[in-house]
This record gives sequence, C-alpha cells and structure tokens, in this order.
Amino acid sequence: MSEQSPSTISFIIDKNSISIFSIILQQGFKVFAKVGSSLESMLCDQFALPPEYLSNRIQTIFLDGKPVDDVTSTMITDGATLALSAAMPGLVGATFRSGGALSVFRSSITHREEEEKSNISAQGMITLKLFNLLVSEIGPAFLERGIWVETEIIKNLIEEKKTEGKTVFKSLKVDGREIGPDEFSRLNWNEGQKLIEVTVQIEK
Amino acid sequence: MDKILRINVSAEGGPTALEEGLGEYAGLGGRGMTSGIISKEVPPLCHPLGKDNKLVIAPGMLSGSAAAVSGRISVGCKSPLTGGIKEANSGGQGAQALARLGYAAIVLEGKPADDTLYKVFINKDGVTIEPDNSLKMLGNYATVEKIKAACGDKVCCISIGQAGEMKLSAATVAFTDMEQRPTRHAGRGGVGAVMGSKGIKVIVLDDTGMGMRKPKNPDAFKSANKEFVAGLKQHPVTGEGLPAFGTNVLTNVLNEAGGYPTKNFSTGQFKESTKIAGEALAQIEKDRGGSATQGCHRGCVIQCSGTYNDKDGNFLTKQPEYETVWAHGGNCCIYDLDTIAMLDRLDDDFGLDTIEMGATIAVAMDAGIAEFGDGEAAINLIKEVGKGTPLGRILGNGAKVAGQVLGVERVPVVKGQAMPAYDPRAVQGIGVTYATTTMGADHTAGYAVTANILGVGGSVDALKPEGQIDLSRNLQIATAAIDATGMCLFIAFAILDQPKTFQALLDIINGFHGLSLTADDVTELGKSILSKERDFNARAGFTNKDDRLPEYFKNEKLAPHGVTFAVKDEELDQVFNW
Repeated sequence: MSEQSPSTISFIIDKNSISIFSIILQQGFKVFAKVGSSLESMLCDQFALPPEYLSNRIQTIFLDGKPVDDVTSTMITDGATLALSAAMPGLVGATFRSGGALSVFRSSITHREEEEKSNISAQGMITLKLFNLLVSEIGPAFLERGIWVETEIIKNLIEEKKTEGKTVFKSLKVDGREIGPDEFSRLNWNEGQKLIEVTVQIEK
Repeated sequence: MDKILRINVSAEGGPTALEEGLGEYAGLGGRGMTSGIISKEVPPLCHPLGKDNKLVIAPGMLSGSAAAVSGRISVGCKSPLTGGIKEANSGGQGAQALARLGYAAIVLEGKPADDTLYKVFINKDGVTIEPDNSLKMLGNYATVEKIKAACGDKVCCISIGQAGEMKLSAATVAFTDMEQRPTRHAGRGGVGAVMGSKGIKVIVLDDTGMGMRKPKNPDAFKSANKEFVAGLKQHPVTGEGLPAFGTNVLTNVLNEAGGYPTKNFSTGQFKESTKIAGEALAQIEKDRGGSATQGCHRGCVIQCSGTYNDKDGNFLTKQPEYETVWAHGGNCCIYDLDTIAMLDRLDDDFGLDTIEMGATIAVAMDAGIAEFGDGEAAINLIKEVGKGTPLGRILGNGAKVAGQVLGVERVPVVKGQAMPAYDPRAVQGIGVTYATTTMGADHTAGYAVTANILGVGGSVDALKPEGQIDLSRNLQIATAAIDATGMCLFIAFAILDQPKTFQALLDIINGFHGLSLTADDVTELGKSILSKERDFNARAGFTNKDDRLPEYFKNEKLAPHGVTFAVKDEELDQVFNW
C-alpha cells in the first residue's frame, strides 16, 4: 500500500447502496464552481439542472443559512454554503418557500443581496447541501461528477462498511488503483489532509 | 351524526348515559363542536379537574363519510395546563367510528363519587358503562390489549394511560390506529387529565353494522372528492414529501434556517441534526422491515406516518413525528433515533404529550437534573412520570411547573403550554401565533390557508411588519374552520397552492351537507369559533398580558442569526381586531 495519503477515491456501488452517501449529501460537500454568478446561473448553467426543475422542484433554498426568495438576483461568492430542498410541509415549511406568500414570517432572517458584494466571475469552492427528495434526484449526478468531502468522513465511512466489502463497494479505487476489502484497514490516512475528492458511480 | 351522548359520572350508582338531539349545536363538528359546548356550558372560572368542567370528544363535520383525509377528531375542555379553553386534535380511528355510530359528540360531565374506574362500550345497540378496576394504572398499550381480548380486533379505543389517571397536566387522550395500537393522541393541554378526573379509563367504539355516512348530494360529493384526492396526490408536499419522509422531513430545513430550537431553546442549530432527520428515520424504518409510508386513519391519502421497528425488527412505535423527534432529540441534544423512538413509545403508553415532555426534560436538563444529550437519563425521567414518583409528577405537569420547581428562567411556554419545534426569534410570524392563539403555544393554530385564498383581512404586504399580524390572524381563522371539518391540516399545502383543490374542499362540504358555503362562510365559521374561545378565555381571567412570549425571547439573541423576537406588544394586541 502506498505510503501517501489518498487524494482521490472512486467508488462503484450498486444502486441499492447509494443511500450510504445520503448523510454526506445532507451534511454538505464541496464542489468547485464559477462564483460571482447568480444562483440561477450556477444551478442551471454550471450544474446542469433544468430551469423547470429549479422553479418547480427546488422550492426551498438557503444561502449561508438564510432563506432565498430570488434566484436571479442572488449572487454566489467563494466559500458560500448553499442548501437546496423540495417544498416543505407545515406552516413553517411553507414559510421558508422561495418567494412564498408566508415569507414575511421569517423576514428577520431572509437573505438580502448586499450591494458591495463582488460579482466578479472567478473559480471558487462552495459547500452544497441536498435535502429530502433532492438527495436521490440530483445527488447521484454530483457524486458522479465528483465532490470534495472531509477526509475524516470518508475514512469513517470506509471503516464502517469494511466488513460488508464487495457487497457495498463493487469497486474502490484509491488514486486510480483498485484496492480490495482486505486493504481498507491499511489505507494511510493523513490527519493533516482536510479534503478528499470522491467520485461515485452506480453500477449499470 | 344527529345526537350527542352525555355521560354523567356524578350519578348515584355510577355513570349514566343520556342521548339527546343536537339542538343549538346542529351543524357543528370537531373544534366547532368542542369549543361551542365548552364556551356555553363550562363556567370559565371552574377548576379544570372539578365537577363543572366537561370533556367533549367530537368528530369533524365530514368524519365517517367517504371524504378523503376526514378522520380527525377534536377533544375539548377547560385545560388544566393553560387554564383556558382547549381543543386537542388527533388522528386514529376514533373520528370515523364515532361518526358512523351517529354521535356528533360524547360529553363527559360531573365528578365521580369515588376512584372507581369505568369503561364505556358503544355499539349500534347503545351504550354500556361498567366498572373495571383491573385497568387501574395500566398503560395505553396494556389497556388496549385487554379490550382487544374482550371485544376483538375491530373496535377502536379512546383511552388514558397512567398520566391521565394521575391527572397530570401533560396527559393525553389516546386513539387507536388502523393496527389497533394506541399511537394517536389528542396531545396538548392535559385533556387526558380531565378524562381521568371523570373516572373513565377507556371508551370502546364498535361500529360493526354501521355504514358510511351518506352525502345529501352523492354525485356532487363524489366528484368533488375525486378532484380533492387528485389535488392532494399531485402536490409535491402531500403527494411526495410527506409520504416519503413524514413530518420529520422538516428537521434539516429548520436546522439550516437556524430556527431549530436546540438545548432548551438556547441556540438555533443542532450539529447532529442529520442523524435524526426524516431522511435518516425513513431509511432506518425501511432497513428494519417497518414502513415509512402509512396513514393514521382509514381514508388517509397523504400517508405521512410509518412504523418504527427496534434493532431486532419488532414493532417499537409509530413513526415519531417531527415535533417528537425535535422535543426529545435536538431540544435535549439527543441524536440517537432508537432512544427517541423509545421515548415516543413511553409517552404513548403513559399517555403523555411528546412536545410538553420533551420541553420539560430540556428544562430539567437546564436545571442540572440530567446532562444534555443523556438519552438514558431522559428515558428514566419519563419512566419516573409513569411511576408517579414525586419528581415524575412534577415533570408530568409540564415545562412551566418544572421550571418553577427547579428554578429555571428559560422556560419556553405561552399560557403555560410548551412551544413546539420552531424558534419564534427566527420565524417571528409563528411567534405571533404562539403568543396570541387561544390554545397556548401551538404550531397548528395558524396553519391553513392564506389571505389570498380566503380573501380575509385584505391583501398582505410582505414587506411591512404588520404583515405578520395580518397573516397570523387569517391563518388562525382558517385553521379553526379546518379543525371543524375533521380534515387533516396537512391538506393546507395543496389548497394553499392549488385553488381548484380548495374549491373541491368546499364542494365536498357542500355536497355532503347539501349546503352552498363560500370561502366567506368558511371564514365566518373560523371567526365564530375563535370568538367563542377568546370570550371563554377572557371570562377565565386572561388579558392581553397573556398574549406574550416569555421575556427572554426579547433579550437573548438566537445563534446563528443573532436575532431576538421583535414584534411589539401593541402589534400583538391587533391580531384579534377584525
């Protein structure tokens, strides 16, 4: 086994095991993106979400913990945290809907675009969180494209699933090299390395 | 549904039953019926556990019919928790069975001469009341098992657990679900304590031989019901989100918003929230052979409940709702779903309100009785309540009493009732409802449809602070009306977004009762219910000083947004100016 700490890990899993990444998608993962663009542009142009999916399905959006009402005027900057959800139940669920009739109920925390915010286009990294119906609907596309996750989280996931071996991970490549379940425990994790690139493909 | 059953527990020789016509209560159902009877017949200054209080159990106007999602039931009384009027709402089979048996309400009244416990049996042939002290201090599960052995697996039970017998202010009235388990509860305000004060342990409903209630205009009713169901199924909340994840789907969203009350309302985010969110809960339920999609009563097409099995695959409890997972989870810093499910099971068995108990345990943790995050300690505290130890009786009387006894300032109650799972500093509009509702802090009080649909109160300007006051008022009016129909409040999302679905609801009511109600009439119904409730509370001694949040919500900033509750008192006083 290489003495070097892994910098990329690629999983191939069967479709019944995709749920093991569900928590990661909810807790938040990082992706590179062109920042300084609008929320709408980032989701539709960069992440390839159809505009109708954004308008009909993604009904609840938080930018840095603040509910967003206008996806066209809201700008995304480097280091932002973006959380996406389908429509939510309950009075408060309805209250958090983008541009919903009850938005006044949470006006004290609503996201408001600051004039001084930079809108210069540049490469940056944002944190993305996916909730509820969106986990299974758009989560796999992000996993396939590649996400960055705290090394500790992936280390723990592999540790937790090592006894299930090939039944969960059909294939696991570390820095491009296939490894078997017996090698899981011997991976040399570097405590100082904060993020690791992860790709996940679902076995056809 | 043309009669009221009155059970007088004061009668010499034990309780007696009297059936009477509807009289002036004709046309009322659910909350309209409970608040109608309580406001007229109960002296507002009476002791909630005394002879003059009454417990009213009333199915909704559409319950017992083929109308979808119409199986909600209301339980009303003067509340031992708040001292004001109370309507607690429940699912389960009770509404359908009671309505099919022809009863618009059961009224328990008077005060028993001794501590004999009674069971009431109601079927198509009439009412039988028998003493049964073998039920004493049994939990709801054991009580239902005994009834099942005697009456079979088709009957519905309305029962109290140990908490109700001990007349604790957090005691619930339990209703059995489709699997004949006592998992559905009229939870809030201590209605179970009032049932206990009447000496009635269980009411058994056997609707064998009774058909569905028939609509006055079958064709119009059937067509409207079809449209209504289609509206519910096509909406992403009622057709997808709720069936897939249940109400606990809200955990991640509230946490992200910084409005998830954590560690006894001391902060707005819980770092372990994803471990107890609806997504994780549904996965565990499926992995253990339970179910994440299940209705709480026959005729439910939303199916927001489920079955939670233990690690060995055995039934533990129904799918804990968002409020329960929050109250026993994030609010107490507990993030183990098995612990939370066990707490839910114990609450259901002892007959305790999960919101009140979660809030109370968090107050106790703030006082140092247990450590935040200690799930085992939380379970032991609930068990103390079930056993009726001195500490248990203090906790079983709710957060306000526990806070007073334990010397805690941060006690999240309004009118003595614990707040649910939304911090009013982050969601200030719901703080308006918490403060002003007749029920005490209640998340369901301002729930239903917007001003835009009902056309009450004029249009709301979302950019002005008074918009929150107007919206809260309109939502409270609409919710009172929906509570009268027996419809589940979760229909709100579909009728909020889809005018055709709202019209279908009106058409169902009109088709069933042969009426021609408009949206304005629904508004008037809601206003009339709220007016009666406000009047009762005023006569019970409530003033505008009771329509306030605890002081610390104005002074303590809530992380992460650093916000306090900023709605002014004079604005709160405008909510009921219509």
